[in-house]
This record gives sequence, C-alpha cells and structure tokens, in this order.
Amino acid sequence: MLLTIENLQAEIDEKQILKGLNLDIKPGEIHAIMGPNGAGKSTLASVLAGKDAYEVTAGSVMFDGQDLLELGPEERARKGLFLAFQYPVEIPGVSNKLFMQTAVNAVREEQGLLALDMFDFDEYAKDKIELLEMRPDLLERSVNVGFSGGEKKRNDIFQMALLQPKLCILDETDSGLDIDALRLVANGINALRSESRSFIVVTHYQRLLDYIKPDFVHVLYDGKIIKSGGFELVHELEEHGYDEIIQQSK
Amino acid sequence: MLKKNTRKISPMAKAAVSHYIEASEQLNKESAQEEVVACRTRAQALLLTQAFPTLRDEAWQYTKLVQFVQNRFEVAHLTPQQHGLTIREVQSFLPPYQAIKLIFVDGVLDKALSDDCTALPKGLSIEFTREAVQSSSEVEVWLEQEDLVNSEPFGVLNNALLAEGFGLKVAENMAIETPVFVLNIQTKLNQISVLSNRVMVGKNAELTLVEHFVTLLNEAEQEGVEACTNVVTVMDIAESARVRQVVLQQQSDLGYYFHNQFIFQSEQSDFNSFYGGLGSQLSRHQNHLFMNGERIENSQNSACLAHQKQLVDSRTNTQHTQEWGASRQLHKFVLADSAVGVFDGMIGVARAAQKTDGQMDNKNLLLSNTAKMNSKPQLEIYADDVKCSHGCATGQINQDQIFYLQARGISKPKATEMITKAFLMESVETIDRKDIQQWVAQEFSEALLSGAYFKTDTATE
Repeated sequence: MLLTIENLQAEIDEKQILKGLNLDIKPGEIHAIMGPNGAGKSTLASVLAGKDAYEVTAGSVMFDGQDLLELGPEERARKGLFLAFQYPVEIPGVSNKLFMQTAVNAVREEQGLLALDMFDFDEYAKDKIELLEMRPDLLERSVNVGFSGGEKKRNDIFQMALLQPKLCILDETDSGLDIDALRLVANGINALRSESRSFIVVTHYQRLLDYIKPDFVHVLYDGKIIKSGGFELVHELEEHGYDEIIQQSK
Repeated sequence: MLKKNTRKISPMAKAAVSHYIEASEQLNKESAQEEVVACRTRAQALLLTQAFPTLRDEAWQYTKLVQFVQNRFEVAHLTPQQHGLTIREVQSFLPPYQAIKLIFVDGVLDKALSDDCTALPKGLSIEFTREAVQSSSEVEVWLEQEDLVNSEPFGVLNNALLAEGFGLKVAENMAIETPVFVLNIQTKLNQISVLSNRVMVGKNAELTLVEHFVTLLNEAEQEGVEACTNVVTVMDIAESARVRQVVLQQQSDLGYYFHNQFIFQSEQSDFNSFYGGLGSQLSRHQNHLFMNGERIENSQNSACLAHQKQLVDSRTNTQHTQEWGASRQLHKFVLADSAVGVFDGMIGVARAAQKTDGQMDNKNLLLSNTAKMNSKPQLEIYADDVKCSHGCATGQINQDQIFYLQARGISKPKATEMITKAFLMESVETIDRKDIQQWVAQEFSEALLSGAYFKTDTATE
C-alpha cells in the first residue's frame, strides 16, 4: 500500500472539517475525489501536503511505510508526495529555474543522487517544457508572475514532471481551465502515469476525469467518504447530482 | 550682542562640541590655506550654537544620537598612526572586477596600498583633500558649497574637520571605463574618520564610482566603542555627463556611519546611484540632489539589511527645477530582530519643472514582530503638468509563498532566504553594470546565508 488513511480528523480555526476519513491507495492507482463545495476535498489535499494551518486531531496517515503526519511539508515532498495547488502562488524575483533546480536537487539529495548543475538541469527540463507546451522563456521568468490561470496550473504539472513523485495530489487542477489548457494538463498527467505512481485527483467536474479515466471514484461529503465506486460513479453523479447519494448515506 | 539662540544644549553635548572644536583648532595649527582655516572656524561657530540634533528635531526623531554624542570619537587623521595593513589583509574587501583602487585606512589615504595615481587613464585626474587643503589652487572646489554642506549637522562637523578625502575630475568628453573603487577601512576603536570628497564630471564625460566602507579591527584592541565614519561628497555632473555610483556600507555592526551627498546635475545628464547598507549600529545615508537643467535623468536606489538593534536611515531629497526631468527611486529594507529602518524621501517639483516624471517607491520586509519601519515619502509639487508618484508598503513574508516552496521539497530556512534575497535583488539589479551588480549581489547573499538574519540550513544543522 502506498497510502493508508485511517479515521482522519482535522480542523481549521477550531472548526472540524475532516470527520473520520478512510482511504487506501496502491501504487499505480488513480483515485478521484468528488463532492459538493465545503465537503473537505481541499482540506484533505492540504492536510496530506502538511499545511500547518490545519490541525490533525485524530487518525493516521501512512505513506510508503512511514508516518506522514510526523513529517514537515518539505520532507513529505522529498519523499515523493506532490501537491498541485488549486491556486499556485506567485513568487516575484525567484526564477522558475532557481526554484525548480533547488527543489529537484533537494529531492535528489534525499535519494542519494548528485545535484544537477545548471546545464544538466536545462537538459533535464527541456522535454518537460515541450510536453506542457510552456513558453520557452519559462525558466528565466519569476515563478507564476504574470502567468494566466491556465499557465499557472500547467507550471504546477511541469513541476510535477520534474520532481517525479510517487503520489500526485491534484487539488482542482482543472478548475478555471479552458479546453486547450485542460487537454495539456491531462496529457501531462497521462504522460506521468506509471505502475509505481499513484494519483489523487480532487475535482468538481467530469471533464478532466474523461481524459484520465480514474480507477476509483469517491464521494466526499461532510468530512467523510460516503460512497466509493469505479469510473461509472462519475456518470451517475453527473446524472443525479450529489443529493441522491447524500440521502442514501443518511 | 544678544545671541538669537533658543537651543538648549545638554552638558554631554557641550562636552562633545568642545572636543571636536578642539580637534578642529588643532588642525588649524597645521599647515593649511587661509580659506580652509576660515571655513573650519565658521563650522566651529555653527557647532557651538547648534551642537548635535536631538529627538526633538524632526529629521532626527527616529535616529538617536545620544550614544554618538557620549562617545566623543578621536579624530583619526589628527594623529595618523601606523596600521601595518598589507595588501593581502585587505584583499577580501577588494572587488573581483578591474578598478582603479584608492584605499583609505582610518580616514587617511594609504598611498602604498592604493593604485599608482600618476598612471591614470587619460581624462581622469585625482587630487587628495590633504594636498588641496595645504597648498593646491584647486582648494576652491572643496569650499564652493560650504553653506550647503553646513545645512546638515554632520556636514558642519565635516567642514570643521576638513582635511582628508579625495577629489576626482573627469575631463570633457572622456568616458572612464574602469571604475574608481574607494575602500575605506576602519582598524581602530573609538575614532572618527572624516572624509570630504569632491567629484567633478565634465561635459559628456562618464564615470563609475564605487565606495566600500568596512571594518577590520586589530584583534589586540578589545576595549572601546567602534569607529565612526563621516563623509561628505559633493558631486558636480556637467551637461550630458553620465555618473554611476555604488556605495556599499559594510562596517561592523557596532560602528557609526553618516554620509551626506550633495549632487548637482546639469542638463541631459544622467546619475544612477545605489546604496547598499548592511553594517553599523547607526547609519544614515543622504542624497541631496539638485536637477539644475532640462531633460535630466537619475535613479537613486537602495537596499538595506539590518538585524539586532541596528538602525538604518536612508534619505533622499530630489529637486526638479526644470522641464522634462525624470527621477526614479526604489528603496528596499529588510529588518530582522529589533532593527529599525528609517526612510525619508522628498521629491520637489518647482514651478518651472513642467513635464517632470518622478517616481519613488519604498518597500519593506519585516522578518520579526519586533522590527520597526518608519517611512515618509513626500511630494511637493508647484508645477501643474507633471507625473509624480510615491508609495510605501511594509509587510512580512507571505506564508503561502513559503509553503509553496516547502511543498516542492525546499526547507523553510532556504525558502525564507530565497524570498528575502529576491526582495532585495529588485533594487540591486538596478545597478546597470553587471560586474558590479554581481559583486553587490554576492555580498548580500553571503550576509543572508550567514544565519544572522534568520535561521539558515547550515545554521540549524
């Protein structure tokens, strides 16, 4: 098992958001998490990535054989957990190159690999820039500054391609994307699929899932997973909405 | 005659005043030209009536001089002593780029350490204040702006002790490619180095001037207060001339630094300046800039980094007097621990200065809850067809940015360092010569990595 979440409970500003969430993910699996606004989807993503505004009050999370909750956000990232942000952050004055070279080398150091110098890094980044059809001057530009919404999300997927994580958590990466940007993001994700890499795709919509065909779909409501199923559950949701499932679960 | 002086001077200040007047008198006994003696004597009289500013003076309300006044520094050039420094010992303060090097140790020019001033590039001439004061006909250059220099308290002190420094002159139409690099080293405790510098750049000429202020204490000396530097620079930039100036102040964290610059620009000239303030417990860098001609351009930028109880004060007063002038300013402060920053900027636009384009920004990053920034950007506009703006923003590091970097495997200290450095670099990058820019950037990087401002990776491991 790559990730085991048991009875996870978490709160922010003393308001409980996650109320006993369970989820198992094996290597290579793609799990979609859907649910109405306020169900706790983004909280789950943030708690897994280690954002300290959230407090975990009960439960456990095992990631690749270790207690995830014991690790700081940077240690989680170095051990192979990746969060694609719902709102990627702008960092004026820090170039994408400095940012990602520092990040890639932090992960490589964890893996006992030698650091990449700037020439090695350029070479390493080249085909990933092409894959996501990023602008050629991407590396020289400040992180996300002056990027459109779509470019920011693609930049996150580009970072994911560089860091080669074991578990990718996509927090509403599809929101705000036009058809072309959505296709590019989906291509990026599909190119990264492998037998050892798993995904948690948090989304409101069917359109991204149509591209990447998840193995499992979960419905999150009021801090818990109330229904799980295969890809067919997506269509059921599109047809009937969340209400029916919520009613059944009560 | 009844003196019109309502100023109350404390006994401590009186003692300091007589201390410096005595030093000035002693200088007057040495060989000096008549007009220099007269200038010093006039400064003594001013010193006697106004002493030093206190917190009641608006321009000094955040910059406490109590300790400076208490200390009564020995005037370094009054009794120059052997410092025994070799070029190897000062090597680390020299820049990695080619330059014409002038080295002042304890306020006195060291000819042996400095480059040979008889073999200068064509068009550049250097005269030293000491010689000018004693015999040269050029002495007029040092005295020309006496009243203006006396308008600042530390200008008065500078005039009273006028004896050291340099005078640079660039002939018309000559572009001096190689930067002039002036290193000022303090090696002794409890002394004041007083430098009176003059710079004259002729029509359509070009000059790059870099000034570096550092401390290299003799380890044997332990007792006492760290040294003080008092500099006055008067710069005359003729028509269509271009001057680039970089001042990097890295004295020990316990030193004092007062620098007043009076800059006169003629039409179509360009002045591009940068001040980097990292050292001293109390530092104050002031530009008084007079744009006396049409189509003048200038930029005055600064980056200050302070921690513990340092006080960093950076000021500009930019006077647009004629049409089509463009002035740009970006001042950035990073304050850690209980450091205090002071920025005071004034853009004045005279009635005749239509089409003025002035812009002044002050941005500050506080790294702790106890650091404090006092900022006062001001505009005073008497013309009606101008474009002027000023702004000020003070904040802390955005935690979302830190988390974003952490989520990519970068440690919190490293993330803090990256964001702080990026913040300062916006100003450093205004230095339009790459070699000098890189040298300044490197000095800031090393300071940030030292662990003095926030925990760094190496400091925590």
